[in-house]
Amino acid sequence: MNLTFSLAHLMGGIILLCAFSMLSQRRLAAMITLYQMQALLLSAAAFWQGYAQGEVSLYLTGLITLGIKGLALPFALRQIVLRFNMIRAVETAMPLILSMILGLALIGIAVLVVLPIAPGAISLTREDLAMSLSVVLLGLLVMIVRRSALAQIIGFLCTENGLVLAAIGMPGMPFVAEFSVALLVLLAFLVVGVFLFRIREHFDTLDLTGIEEIERRGR
Amino acid sequence: MVGLPGQGMHLRLDALSALFLIILLPQTIAAALSGMRGSLTFWVFVAGMVVALLGADAFTLIFGFELMSAASWLLVLRGDAKPASLYAGIAVFSAACLIPALFLPAGALAFMLILLGTGAKAGLAPLHSWLPRAHPAPPAGVSALMSGGMIKVALYVLIRYGFIVLGAKAAPWWGMVLIVAGAASVLIGSLRAMLETELKTLLACSTVEHAGLIAVGLGVALRAKAMGDPALAALGLQAALLCVVAHALFKPLLFIGAGEVKHATGTSGLNWLGGLLRGMPRLSGLMLLGAVGMAALPLGPGFAPEFLLLHAVIAAAATGGILAHLAFTALLAVLGVSAALALGAAVRLVGIGFLGRPRTLQAAAAEDARPGPLAGMALLAGLCVPVALWPGLVLWGMNPVIRLLVPGASPAPLAYAPLILVLLGGLVALAAGFVLHRFGVRGTREVPAWMGGFGRPPAWLPFGDPMTQPSASGFAAPVARAIGAGLLAPGGMDPGQAWVLAPLQRLYLRIVRLAERIRRATIRERLAFVFMGLVLALLVLGLGEGG
Repeated sequence: MNLTFSLAHLMGGIILLCAFSMLSQRRLAAMITLYQMQALLLSAAAFWQGYAQGEVSLYLTGLITLGIKGLALPFALRQIVLRFNMIRAVETAMPLILSMILGLALIGIAVLVVLPIAPGAISLTREDLAMSLSVVLLGLLVMIVRRSALAQIIGFLCTENGLVLAAIGMPGMPFVAEFSVALLVLLAFLVVGVFLFRIREHFDTLDLTGIEEIERRGR
Repeated sequence: MVGLPGQGMHLRLDALSALFLIILLPQTIAAALSGMRGSLTFWVFVAGMVVALLGADAFTLIFGFELMSAASWLLVLRGDAKPASLYAGIAVFSAACLIPALFLPAGALAFMLILLGTGAKAGLAPLHSWLPRAHPAPPAGVSALMSGGMIKVALYVLIRYGFIVLGAKAAPWWGMVLIVAGAASVLIGSLRAMLETELKTLLACSTVEHAGLIAVGLGVALRAKAMGDPALAALGLQAALLCVVAHALFKPLLFIGAGEVKHATGTSGLNWLGGLLRGMPRLSGLMLLGAVGMAALPLGPGFAPEFLLLHAVIAAAATGGILAHLAFTALLAVLGVSAALALGAAVRLVGIGFLGRPRTLQAAAAEDARPGPLAGMALLAGLCVPVALWPGLVLWGMNPVIRLLVPGASPAPLAYAPLILVLLGGLVALAAGFVLHRFGVRGTREVPAWMGGFGRPPAWLPFGDPMTQPSASGFAAPVARAIGAGLLAPGGMDPGQAWVLAPLQRLYLRIVRLAERIRRATIRERLAFVFMGLVLALLVLGLGEGG
C-alpha cells in the first residue's frame, strides 16, 4: 500500500462525505459551501493523480475543476442566493433523516454493484469506482429530495463531480471526455441560470411547487 | 394473390371444409333474401368465412378469420356502438390468442391458446357474455349468419386444429377442458335463454347453449381419440357435427323470424308481443318449427344430435377412473337440466310471443312477414325437415368427415329412426281420430269458461285485459328464483359478465389511472422514477453478479 493510493482514497472518501453531508443540510448556503469543498478536493485529487500517473492532461483537468467548479460556480451560486434573498430558505421535500437513510442504502448498493463486478482488476481502482458511483447516486438523490431549483442544480453538479472522480481514477481515460463533461455542465448551468431568472420574474419564487400547481391547473 | 410474400395463398377443399361450406350456403341465401343482399360488408363477411374454411395454410386461415371478424364488427356497428366495441375487444382478444397459437409448435400451449381464441369467438363460457349483447345488435340477417355461421367457423378452426393439426399430440385432458367449458356454456346459455325477455337476446343465449353442446361433443370425441377409443370418438363427433348442421338451420331461421317480428311490430320484447299467430300465420308456423328445433323436441331437427350426445356422454362415463365416472354423470345431469330449460325457453318464446292475445296494439296490428325473409325462412325450414326426419342420412353423408378426423373410425349408424316414429305416431293419431269420430260425444256441451288463463275482466274491458296474461318475465320468474339465484351473479347478471369482463374492466381503469398519474407527475417525481429505475437496474446487476 503506497502513498498514491492511500491519498487518492482519502480524497475520494472526503468527496463522498461532502456529497453525503449535502443531504443533511437545510440551507442552500451550506450546500454551496459543501459543493465548493467537494470541487476543491476533486481538483486536488486530479493534481495528485496527474502527479502519480505522470499525465499532463490530468493537471489540466485539475485546473479546469479548480477554476470552474471550485471558484466560478460557487461564486455564481452565492450571487444567485444573495440576489434572490434565499439565505434562510429551507426546502426539503422529505425528512432529512429519511433522505440520509436512503443515501446510506444507495452507498450500499453502489458497493454491492461495483465490488463483485471486476474481481480481477486492481482492487484499489474498484474501490475508487465504488466511491464515485456513490457520489453520482447521492447527487441524484439530492436532486429528488429538494424542492428548490437551485438545490437541484447543486445535486446535478455533485453528480457530475462523481463522474469526474471516476474519470481521474482510471488510468488512461482520455482527457477529451472530462473536458466535454465540464463544458456540458457549464452550458447546463447557464441554461438553468437563465431559466431561474425567468422563473423568478414570473413567479417571484424558485420553489417549483408553484410551477407544478400551475401545470396541474392548466390541464 | 393475397398471402405471405413468396408463398401465396393456399386453398384446399377437404371433407371437413366441405361440410362447413355446405351448412354456410343455405343460411347465406336466407340472410341475403332477408334484406342483406345489397350490403358490401355482408358479402365481405361471407367471403371471410369462406376463405377461413378453405384456407390450407395458417396464414390464409387467420386472414379469412380476421376478415370475418372485421366485417362482422362493421355490421354490428350498424346496430349499436356499445356492443360493437365489446365485440371488437373480444375479436382482438381472439386474434391475440389465435395468431401466436397457429405458429407455435404443436403442444398443449398451442391448443389452449386456440381454445381461448376460438372459444371467445364461439361464445364458450366463461367468455360468452358478449354474445347475447353483440349478436342481437345488427340487422336480423347478419345476426342469423353470425349465430349460424360465424360460430361454426370458430368451431371449425377448433376442430381443424384439435383433431388434425395438433391431433398427434392430443392428450385426454384437452378434451376435459373442452367438456367443462362446453358444459358451463350449456347451463348458462339455456338458463339465460329461459330468463331473457328480448327475442333476439333470447336466441343469442340459446346459441351459447348450442355452442356448448357442440363443444361437449367435440370434447368427448377429443378425449376418446386421445385415449385410443375411435368408436366413442366417432359417436361424439357425430353428435357435435349433427348439432352443427341442425343449429345452422334452425337458428338463422329463428333470427330472421325475430327480425321480421320486430319489423312488423316495432318491438322484439316478448312482454309487448302476443297473439302473433293470428296476424302472422306463416311466420308463426316457421318460427314454431325453429322453436321445436331449439327445444330439441323429438321429431324436430335438434333432437337427434342431443340424443347422440347423451349416448356419447353415457358411453364416456364408462371410461377412465372413478372421477371420470362421477364427472360424466354430473355432466348428464347438467345436460338434462339445460334440455329442460331450453324446452322452457322455446315454450315461452312460442307461448308468450305467438299465442294468447296481443298485449299491445302494435302486436294486434302485425301483418305477415315480407315475402323475401319468408322465402329464406321457408328454405331453412324445408332443409330442417330432412335433418329432422332422416338424421341417419345426414350422418351417412358425414362419414368421410369423421374418418378424416378420427382415422380408423367406423361410425355407427344411428339407432333412432324418426320417420318410423312419425309413421307410428300418424297411425296412432289416425286411430285416435277414428275412435273419437266413431265413439265421441256429438253435439255441444256447456262448460264453465276457463278464460284461457286470463284474470277476471275489469268492468271497463268486458273481454278481458290482455295485460293480465302471464308475461314473459312472470313465466320465467319461478326458474329465476329456483335456479337463477344460484347460478347467476348477484343482481341477475351473467357470471361471465360479473366475474370475467367486469374485473377486466376494473383492471383496465386502474391501469389507465396509473398511467394518467405518471403522465401528470411533477418534475421531481419524474426524476424519482428514472432514479428508481436506475437503482433497480443496479441492484439487479449487483445481486446477479454477487449471486
